[in-house]
Amino acid sequence: MGDFNYPGKLKRSVLIVDDEEINRMILGNILEENYEIFYAENGARALEILTERKVRFSLILMDLLMPVMDGFTLLGRIKQDDAMMNIPVIVMTSEKPAEVQSIKLGADDFIAKPYDMPEVILARCERIIGLYETRSVMRSAERDALTNLYTREFFKEYVRQIDGNESIAEMDAIVLNIEHFHTVNELFGRHVGDEVLRKIADMLASIFDGSIWIGCRPNADYFYLYAEHRESYEDVFLGLQQELAQFSQIPRIRIRAGIFQNVDKLSTVEERFDHAKLACDRIRGDYTKNISFYSKELNDIDLYHERLINDMDAAMKNKDLIVYYQPKYDVTTETPRLRSAEALIRWKHSELGMISPGDFIPLFESNGLIQKLDHYVWKEAASQIKKWREAYGKTVPVSVNVSRVDIYDTGLEKRLLDLVEENQLSPNELMLEITESAYADDAKGLTEAVEKLRERGFKIEMDDFGSGYSSLNMLTTIPIDVLKMDMKFIRNMNRDEKSRKLVELVVEIAEFLGVPLVAEGVEEAQQVETLRKMGCSIIQGYFFSKPVPPEEFEKFIKAELDK
Amino acid sequence: MLTIEKLKDYGADVEEGLKRCVNNQAFYLKMVEKAAGDPTFEKLLAAMNAGQLEEAFEAAHALKGVYGNLAIKPLYEPVSELTEFLRARTQMDYSEFITVLKSQKEKLDQLR
Repeated sequence: MGDFNYPGKLKRSVLIVDDEEINRMILGNILEENYEIFYAENGARALEILTERKVRFSLILMDLLMPVMDGFTLLGRIKQDDAMMNIPVIVMTSEKPAEVQSIKLGADDFIAKPYDMPEVILARCERIIGLYETRSVMRSAERDALTNLYTREFFKEYVRQIDGNESIAEMDAIVLNIEHFHTVNELFGRHVGDEVLRKIADMLASIFDGSIWIGCRPNADYFYLYAEHRESYEDVFLGLQQELAQFSQIPRIRIRAGIFQNVDKLSTVEERFDHAKLACDRIRGDYTKNISFYSKELNDIDLYHERLINDMDAAMKNKDLIVYYQPKYDVTTETPRLRSAEALIRWKHSELGMISPGDFIPLFESNGLIQKLDHYVWKEAASQIKKWREAYGKTVPVSVNVSRVDIYDTGLEKRLLDLVEENQLSPNELMLEITESAYADDAKGLTEAVEKLRERGFKIEMDDFGSGYSSLNMLTTIPIDVLKMDMKFIRNMNRDEKSRKLVELVVEIAEFLGVPLVAEGVEEAQQVETLRKMGCSIIQGYFFSKPVPPEEFEKFIKAELDK
Repeated sequence: MLTIEKLKDYGADVEEGLKRCVNNQAFYLKMVEKAAGDPTFEKLLAAMNAGQLEEAFEAAHALKGVYGNLAIKPLYEPVSELTEFLRARTQMDYSEFITVLKSQKEKLDQLR
């Protein structure tokens, strides 16, 4: 920075204030080649010209001793006025005491009298103008125009400066976010949204002023604060919340805060605020909590998740992610018959050992990686069906999970058909499980996608039935081939009258829809008996077998062949 | 009519004055002409004769700046010295200053 040439030949404007015409003319003669020159014969006239605001001045050169209004008075007025204070002022004087007083009033430089040589004067003017312009560019990059808080890069730099001060001991990193801010913008308009952001910045200033703190708005509706450590934040943010609700007239507006207390000064600024943000985002949508503190445990979970994400590809490549199979038995016959299996993913991590699906499936669902995992399972399962068929001459249909993201993938149908073709399967041998809650979310879009798959011959199982919120009306219209009951009902069936009644109801719904009902999570002989009597046709669960690796599954196939 | 040569002979530091005028001789001569006709000189004499030290200081200070910028040394030097006495509002006999200034100003006027 430093070379701020105005576009084209436009010259910057300079105001010369001196009561002696000869002095004004000599100075003007020096500067006129480079600048547009304006003249005033005293302070009062200069002030008039400046307040007219017809010209944007880049510099003021002023004499001190002048009639009507002297230079000191003029300087004082300029430097106390918001609109004029950013114009640099060079004072022309030959007296040292006057220089001191001028500096106190805000003068930026001096030109001696009799005047220095023209090149010296020109160089001074140029330097001061450049300095001010650099500073104003820096300022606009330093501050967020809307809230006047720092921008991200400057915020980081100032955090480091605070850290450099050893007398400041404990600091907290805080991340604030407004829940559903986009709805504020949508409902009330962008200007109301902007007002809310400004108001928050103002309130933060009034809360934290008096202690060491700096704030930044890194993007949209996030606020970062670096503030002297506090033990409690309850009152602070409750007050903020209430005031904001009152100000915005939006009673449901809610601010979430994630706080990393007593930050580790050895960590980078990014790490600290990543931690605070992690805590902040963890309570997204949780209306019981407004404040979340970052902790070691939370960090461990975060690191663990990161590791799982990083390791996923390698795990698929090395087959550490293994597809297990749990048999499903038809119980309508005297002896239960192996009917099909469900593919379930297991992760035998090379260093961490067995990882619970509860650890990685929700994680991958949250970040979209589940799609990759699903594709992997489909591929494995399809080739497994083929292998068994080749080895035993028997086809065991396998059901695989189809996640919400898969359904909206336009390439889904082709992908599944390709798999079926590659392994010479018929589409009804690779059964597709879709969870009930996916239906409830977007019944129409999903129905269309599912209809297409069914037209191609795929069979659709509705998984976890009873856990979602399907309306009975919706049930009559959605396209399904199998209903799979949520295992919670089974677990309590023989202990709790209500659960048993619910199971009966689900059995009736399946009958009404004319589709088979699968009960999963069945562990006891008594449960099998009860379900069979009720009319449930297919049973899956530990009573028959836990999910097992493909080699082990072969014993069920062999047993079936002997029947 | 004022010329560079005449001003040199008079004792002005023409070289310095010209530099300050970006070596524009016509402009320099015009400014010296203007300075010679500046009524502030008469104001200074009148204020000193009347013993009005504040007014005298303001006039002397103004002239000092102009003569200095144009490097009219025969007037600049005495007026600088005078300015400092007047700044301190020194009660003294200023007749010698008046005589010197008057005679130097007359010499300058004769060059015009």
